[in-house]
Amino acid sequence: MKMNNTNSLILTRILIISLAFFIIQFFLNVSYTVEPDEILKNQEHELRARNISRNIRCMICQNQSIDESNAPLAKDLRILIRNKIKAGNNDKEIYKFLTDRYGDFILLKPPFNLNTLGLWFLPFIFLILGIYIVFYHNKKSG
Amino acid sequence: MTTYLGNFLLSLSLFFAISQFFVSKKNKFKFITITVNGLLISSLLSFGLLMYSHIISDFSILNVFQNSHTTKPLFYKISGVWGNHEGSMLLWILVLTIFNYFIFKLYNKYNSVFIAKTLEIQAFITTGFILFTILTSNPFQRMFPEQANGLGFNPILQDPALAIHPPLLYIGYVGFSAAFSISVATLTLNNNEKVPWYNYMKPFVLAAWTFLTIGIALGAVWAYYELGWGGWWFWDPVENASFMPWLLGTALLHSLIIVEKRKSLQAWVLLLAILAFLLSVIGTFLVRSGILTSVHTFALDPSRGIYILAFTALLGGYSLVLFGKKSKKYFNTNYFALFSREGSILINNILMTIICATVFLGTIYPLLIEAFTNNKISVGEPYFNSTAVPIMLPAILVMGVGPILAWSKEEKSKIFKKILPSVLLTGIMSVLIFSIYQSYSFIGIAGIILAFWIISNNIILLFKKNKNFSSGMLIAHLGIGFLILGITGSSIWQEEKITRLQIDTSTQINKYNIVFKEINEVKGPNYVALKGNFTVYDEKKNIITKLEPENRYYPITNSFTTEASIHTNLARDLYLVLGEGNLNKGWVVKIYYNPLVIWIWIGALIIFIGGIVSINNNLRKIKILS
Amino acid sequence: MKNKLLILPSIFFAIILSIFFYLLITERNPSEIPSNLLNKNVPFFEAESLFKNEKFISSQELKNEIILVNFFATWCKPCRDEHVYIKRFSNKKGIKVIGINYKDNSKKTIEWLKNLGNPYSDVLIDKNGRIAIDWGVYGIPETFIVNSSGIIKYRHVGPITNKIYKKINLIINENE
Repeated sequence: MKMNNTNSLILTRILIISLAFFIIQFFLNVSYTVEPDEILKNQEHELRARNISRNIRCMICQNQSIDESNAPLAKDLRILIRNKIKAGNNDKEIYKFLTDRYGDFILLKPPFNLNTLGLWFLPFIFLILGIYIVFYHNKKSG
Repeated sequence: MTTYLGNFLLSLSLFFAISQFFVSKKNKFKFITITVNGLLISSLLSFGLLMYSHIISDFSILNVFQNSHTTKPLFYKISGVWGNHEGSMLLWILVLTIFNYFIFKLYNKYNSVFIAKTLEIQAFITTGFILFTILTSNPFQRMFPEQANGLGFNPILQDPALAIHPPLLYIGYVGFSAAFSISVATLTLNNNEKVPWYNYMKPFVLAAWTFLTIGIALGAVWAYYELGWGGWWFWDPVENASFMPWLLGTALLHSLIIVEKRKSLQAWVLLLAILAFLLSVIGTFLVRSGILTSVHTFALDPSRGIYILAFTALLGGYSLVLFGKKSKKYFNTNYFALFSREGSILINNILMTIICATVFLGTIYPLLIEAFTNNKISVGEPYFNSTAVPIMLPAILVMGVGPILAWSKEEKSKIFKKILPSVLLTGIMSVLIFSIYQSYSFIGIAGIILAFWIISNNIILLFKKNKNFSSGMLIAHLGIGFLILGITGSSIWQEEKITRLQIDTSTQINKYNIVFKEINEVKGPNYVALKGNFTVYDEKKNIITKLEPENRYYPITNSFTTEASIHTNLARDLYLVLGEGNLNKGWVVKIYYNPLVIWIWIGALIIFIGGIVSINNNLRKIKILS
Repeated sequence: MKNKLLILPSIFFAIILSIFFYLLITERNPSEIPSNLLNKNVPFFEAESLFKNEKFISSQELKNEIILVNFFATWCKPCRDEHVYIKRFSNKKGIKVIGINYKDNSKKTIEWLKNLGNPYSDVLIDKNGRIAIDWGVYGIPETFIVNSSGIIKYRHVGPITNKIYKKINLIINENE
C-alpha cells in the first residue's frame, strides 16, 4: 500500500479512533446484559438459564434481574448458572446454591415457606372474600 | 435576601393554612375568603421565587446549588425545581392550595356548612404539608460559602417525560385529598343534614384519576425510552405506591356513579375516598422516609419519615375511627341485580380492591418479614405476575360487558343481540392479527381477544352516538382496549436477538436485516459517546431506517448511560442497544422486535383524553348545580 | 355484626403504621442484606497466596483464633478509605487479619500494599470472584469476623467507618 497523503490521512484517522476506543474502553469496563459469548449452544439449556436468571435479583442494582443487568456480579452469576446447567444440576439445586450464599433475598419470586405463607395465601383469601361478597349480594337482590 | 423572602412566604402560607382551619370551623365566609386566597397567593409566590432562583442560577440558595447547574437547559432548570425533595414539597403545597381554592369556589349559602367543613379538613392537610416542609425540607436555606456553580447535572434526569411526570402525579394525589376531605366532612354531617356530597366529590375524583393515569404512563414511557432494556414497569415499591391509589381511584370513579344513580354503596365510597388518599400519603412516606430503597427514593432521612408517619397516623386514625362510628347512617339495603350495569360496577370495585390489596401485600411484605424475623426477602415481578395480573383478566372482561348492560336488570335474552356486532368485529380482528403473528399462548390469546372486545364495543358505541353513554367513558374504555392490546402484543410476540457483529456484517431479526455500518466517537454538550451506525433493511432490501445507539460517558458525573436507538411505527418498535466490544472482536448488539408497543402510549393518551372529556362534561353539570 | 366490621379498617391501619414506626425507629440500613452465612461454618475454599508459596486451605487456616476476613481490591476506592482501620485491626492482639484480593492484578496489589502498608497476615487471590460468591459477597469491600471455631459471626458490607470499627471491636471482644 503506497504511503501517499490520502492513505496516511486514513491511517491517522484509524489510529485516532482506535485510541479513542481504547480510552473509552478503559472506562467502559462494564458488560451489557446477556452477551453472545455467554449464550449456550444447547437451546434448552440456554432457555433454562434465561428463566433462572430472570428470577435472580441483581444484588447491587435497583430492582433488576441478573438477566437484564449490566453489573459485573450479574455477569458472573449468569455464567455460573450456565456452568451448573451444563454440569447437570437441576433448577432446584441451582437456586439452593444461590440462596445458601445470598439468602432468600436474591430470589425475585419469593420462596414458599412458613414465613411467606401469608404472602402466597392472602391473595387467594382476598379472592374468596370477593366471590363471597358477590354471592351475598346476589342472594340479597332476590 | 431570597432566603428571607422565601421563608417569610412559607411562614405566611402556614399562617393562612392554620387560620383557614379555625375560620372554617366557625364558617366565617369573609375570613375564609381571605385565608383561601392568601394561601394560594403566598404559595404561588414562594414556588415562583424558588423557580426564579433556579432559572437565574442563584447558587446562594442551597437547593439551587445542590440541584442545578449553569449548563442545564432552561427547560430542565425549571423542571429541576420539583426534581428534588424540597422543591417537590413546594409543588405539593402549591397544588394543594389550588385545589383548596377550587373547593372554596363551590361555596354557596345552601352548602356553606358542608363546604366549610371540607375546607377545615383540607386546611389541616395543607398545614401538615407546609409544617413538614418548613421543619424538615426547607428549600430556602442559604449556601455558605457561595459557589460559582452547582451540583445538579445528572443527565439521566434531563428527560422531558421525567420532567413533567411529578406535577401530573401530584395533581392526582391532591385531587384525592379533596375527595378525602369531602368524605370526612360528609361523615361529620348530622342525621338531618342532607347534602349531595357525591356531586361535589366527583369532579375531584375525575381530575385526580385522569392526571394520575397520565402521570404513571409518562413514568413508564421514560423507563422504556431511557433505561435501555425495553422494560417499562418493574413493580418497584414506588411504582406500586402510585398504582395503588390509581386502582382505588378507578373503583371510586365507578362506584360514585352507583351512588349518584341508586344512592347505594355510599358507605363504601366514603371509605374508598379515605383509603385512596391515605395510600397516596403512605406512598409519599415510603419514598421519602428511607424505609426502603428504590430507583425513585429521594435522600434517606428517618426524621422525615417519622413526621410523615405521625401525620398519616393522625389523618388516618381520625378519618377511619370516624368512619367506624358514623358510616352506619349511609348504609342502604338497596340490592341491585348482579347482571346489570350496577352489578358489573360492583364486580369492578371488588376486583380493583383485590388487586390493590395484593399489590399492597407484596409491597410491604418484605418490611413485615424484616420487622418480625431477621431475614430479608424480596418480592419482585414474578410474584405480582402470578397474583395481581391474573385478576386483571376478569376485570377487563367485565369492562367489556358492563357498560352495555342496562341499569337495574338486564334481560338475558336481549344481551346477545346487543353484543353481536362487537363479537363479530372482535372475531375478525383477532383472526387477522393471529394470522400475522403466529404465536399462541393462553395469556396471549386471552389478552388479544379481550383487547379487541373492548375496542370493538366502544368504537361501535361511539359511532352510535347514543346519549345513554357518556362519551368520556367510551373514550377512556377505548383507551384501555388499546393499552391492553399494546401490553399483550409487546409481551407475547417480542423477539430478541443478541449477537456480536463486526463492521460491515449483518444480522436478522423477524423480517429485518440489520447491517452494522460504522462506529464513531461523538461529542455531546456534556458527554463523549461511542455511536454505532446501523441500517435496517426489510425483506425487499428497502431501507427502513438508520439506527444509531450510543454509549455515553459523562465526565462531570463519572457516569455511563446506554442510549437505545428505537424505530417506531404502529406495528412494532425496533429497539437496538449497543454493547461492549472493539474493532477486533466486533461489538455486542442486542436487538428487540417489540410489536404494538406504541399502542400502550396511544392507549394511555386516549384514556387521558376520555378523562378530560368527562371532566369537561362534569364541570358543565356543576355549573348548573351551583 | 356490622358495627364490629366497621372498626376493622382503623385497626388494620393502626397495625400497619406501628410496623412502619418500628422499622423507622430501629436503625436499619434498607440496602444492606444480612449475610446468609451468619452462625454457619466458613465456606470451604482453596486459594493461591499472594506472598507465600503454599496453597491456602480454608479448613486448615480459618480456625483456632479469631479471624477478620477482608475482601478488597486496588481498583476500589472505598477499600483505600477503610485501609487505616484494617491496619488497626492487624495491630490488635488475638486476631488474625486475612485479605482476599477480588478480581485484581497481583502486581498492582503488591504495589498497593507496599504503598499503603500491608495489614494482612496472608493475602489470597480470588481472580475470578468465585470465592467471593461462596461468601455471599455482593459489594467490595466486605469484612467478616470468624470465631475460633470457624463460625462466621459478623459481616459488614461497604467500607469500615468509625462506628463500624467500634462495633467490630465489641464483637471481637464478645467472641474471645
